[in-house]
Amino acid sequence: MRRNLFLYRRCLGAQLRATLEYEGDFWIMSVAALVTQGMGFVFLWAIFRAIPQINGWRFWDVVLIYSLVALTEGIAVLLAQGAWSMAVTVNLGGLDTVLVRPFSPLLQVLSSQIGMNGLGNLVLGGSLFVAALVHVDATWTPVRIATAALVFACAPLVKIGLNILTNCSAFWLKTPWSMFPFAFHTLGELARYPISIYGIGVRLVLSLVLPYAFMSYFPATAVLSLGDAPWLGLLTPVAAVWCLLLGRWAFHRGLSRYESSGS
Amino acid sequence: MARIEADDLRKVFRRPDKGPGLAGSLRHLVERRYTEKAAVDGISLRVEAGEAVAYVGPNGAGKSTTIKLLTGILVPTSGEVRVNGIVPHRHRVENARGIGVVFGQRTSLWWDLPVRDSFELLRDMHGLGAAEYRTNLDRLVETLGIADLLSSTARRLSLGQRMRADLAAALLHDPPIVYLDEPTIGLDIEVKDRLRTFLRQVVADGTTLILTTHDLGDIEDVCSRLVIIDQGRILHDGGLRQVIETYARERVMHVDLAARPASLAGIAARLTGATVTEERDGLGVAVAFDPLAHTAGDVLTALQAEVDVVDLRIEEPAIEDVVRRMYAGQLVAGPDERPAP
Amino acid sequence: MTTAVTATGAVPLGRLRREARTYRALGRAAFRSLVAYQTSFLFGLLATTLAAVAMLYLWRSVLAAGTVNGFDWPTMKAYLLVAFVAGSLVSSYVDYRMAGRIQQGDVAMDLVRPVDYQRSRFAEALGFGGYELGTGLVVAAAAAAVFGGVPAPARSSLGLFVVSAALVLPLRFGIVYVSALVVFWTRNYVGVQSARIALVTLFSGGLVPLAFFPGWLQGLAAALPFAGMASTPALLYVGGLAGAAAWRAVAVQAAWTVGLWWLGRAMWRGASRQLTVHGG
Repeated sequence: MRRNLFLYRRCLGAQLRATLEYEGDFWIMSVAALVTQGMGFVFLWAIFRAIPQINGWRFWDVVLIYSLVALTEGIAVLLAQGAWSMAVTVNLGGLDTVLVRPFSPLLQVLSSQIGMNGLGNLVLGGSLFVAALVHVDATWTPVRIATAALVFACAPLVKIGLNILTNCSAFWLKTPWSMFPFAFHTLGELARYPISIYGIGVRLVLSLVLPYAFMSYFPATAVLSLGDAPWLGLLTPVAAVWCLLLGRWAFHRGLSRYESSGS
Repeated sequence: MARIEADDLRKVFRRPDKGPGLAGSLRHLVERRYTEKAAVDGISLRVEAGEAVAYVGPNGAGKSTTIKLLTGILVPTSGEVRVNGIVPHRHRVENARGIGVVFGQRTSLWWDLPVRDSFELLRDMHGLGAAEYRTNLDRLVETLGIADLLSSTARRLSLGQRMRADLAAALLHDPPIVYLDEPTIGLDIEVKDRLRTFLRQVVADGTTLILTTHDLGDIEDVCSRLVIIDQGRILHDGGLRQVIETYARERVMHVDLAARPASLAGIAARLTGATVTEERDGLGVAVAFDPLAHTAGDVLTALQAEVDVVDLRIEEPAIEDVVRRMYAGQLVAGPDERPAP
Repeated sequence: MTTAVTATGAVPLGRLRREARTYRALGRAAFRSLVAYQTSFLFGLLATTLAAVAMLYLWRSVLAAGTVNGFDWPTMKAYLLVAFVAGSLVSSYVDYRMAGRIQQGDVAMDLVRPVDYQRSRFAEALGFGGYELGTGLVVAAAAAAVFGGVPAPARSSLGLFVVSAALVLPLRFGIVYVSALVVFWTRNYVGVQSARIALVTLFSGGLVPLAFFPGWLQGLAAALPFAGMASTPALLYVGGLAGAAAWRAVAVQAAWTVGLWWLGRAMWRGASRQLTVHGG
């Protein structure tokens, strides 16, 4: 386990150096991410100028959920962006060299890229997150703080697990494009708002089928004691483990039917 | 126990059988049809420690697929394979510790990193100690002559440079088995020669070597055992010398002349057993000769004594010719011969 | 390659007629390519559809208690769906292809082709636009059905609505074209575009009607070209703009459409000069 962590850090570190070579791109992408997330915040602000709350959620409550999505995205992009390279790696022959190195193929793939927009997401998401925590109406007892630490730490793992799962479609779709997992990523964008606004069908999909709601909504409900069943948020660690296991299972199933390319 | 044991390996690829145009795509949605192709169709192989095996066949014969089955990249449709005692595709990480692989058509280096960084990442993955790494690296850098490449990123290397760096990467951890899949493809003669010299040394050090290629020149001085594969099946598995001497013996030298010769009889007289023919409307001559009877130098000398040679080219037999002749002719007796299909 | 252009930039009619054939062909090819790459396009469409659905649900909750800033739920539904259809135009490959060709230097070939680069890209945008409009309308209709129907367009501003709707495609093309040309100078595309999309979407009124912004921001938004991309036609549909305000909005939309076209021509001249002087 320690060896895996060490090697993962080494691979990521090597990628970081390579990524920073494209310095101009790096800054543009970081600023772009800042602007993108920032506009979403402005959007929320504009709405809440006119109304006090949505379904019982006030401005900073909603900002908390929104910022969690940005924050988890930033972490996923910095630490496990390699999932998005699967379509290319698997279908253009890059997986062969991965499979003959003495390090878990899945971990190699995940650490093979660092997203340049990760920093922007992290900065803005993080700032909004902290601001929200300061402004929400909650008494910070030790229990609440401990709960918050646990669920907020597990939230990014949900996203990472689902990224892996949906990107494994590369093994079945056999094209070098990531449109399929990208569509699911946009489904996850729905988790930026309290899912109580959605119809029951959408809510079930986001909670059970592809539990994107566990990267933002449910953790927030547990900490803020809002919504119909705030205790569900305590299941976030379970959801995180479940998503990661699903992702790993999909990857191994994909490997067993991998056909490589060329003669 | 042999280092590599493969028993009746089969790998079947399924391709969807779509009809042409929109109608075909729609029909495929409803009724799925597939064509099956057995890239490897019942291959059994035993390689002992220290052997150097040439794995040869025409394009599409199944060479690369076999290597991918042996290295654990592909899962066999049926059959068994054990390398160093373990099943490669079930224990990939452990298997990787005991092998080195070079793919001719893609690099095993990290594309955006300096070569040295790739080596260091591999050192960490293999868990090499600092001293061991230093020793191995220095030795490889010297024999392969890659000292000035170490700080270049892989994407900037030429094909020959990349191949040498890939070889170093594969041998960094001193593996007992090395697989080379088309390592000399696209390289020019000079680089090929250096590589072949290097491989001879690797074999002499006791490493087990499997080399796939469809260039017979790659294997002549390096390997002692020749496995010929075509359409997924082994046609021959045995001594290399005999196959070459029987099926790949003839060389043809083509020369361009300054002027048309009066007659070719003089040339033929000097080279017993060779066939001399006129080419290019008299401005060229082709001499088909047995290299064991006459060296290329002999042939050239004979030619120059009779005619004015402007340019020359030597044609070597291709593996396709060898395979064709094997189908057409008889098999050579070798230690481990397989019956003709 | 410079074509013979008069001082005001007008091109002789005869040449235009001849070139028209090329542009028609380009447009048709663009349409057909979307049909061929349908899967890819449809996944993209799915992404925007999900975003639109999220917006619909969100606004339904927001307006559950009553009218806000003059919008009630039926009005907002109509507003969002018109904005959605408008937003789906010129959203596909024109800018990515352009930027890709610029980044890889293939654009040097485009420079020597005897057809006008900008008009060719516009012809392609028209071709794509046909497909985008069709699919956008289908999705909007389905969404309308799911959310309980959509009111008919306001009679009083119907004429201006039609004009405004027709201007959406050329206006969006102008914005997309100009921002794609920026690649000549920044060399990075994805980052610049995602920033552009975020900024533009917000200021086009596609996420939240401009009426929700504070006064000073509304004034700014009214002057920018982005309002014409979604807000103006959507407001005209629901009758949110009337009389002088309506005419002013459409005039601003038209002015920006023309202005961006000329800005694009100027940028192209600058860019191609840079390309030929400095090399690819």
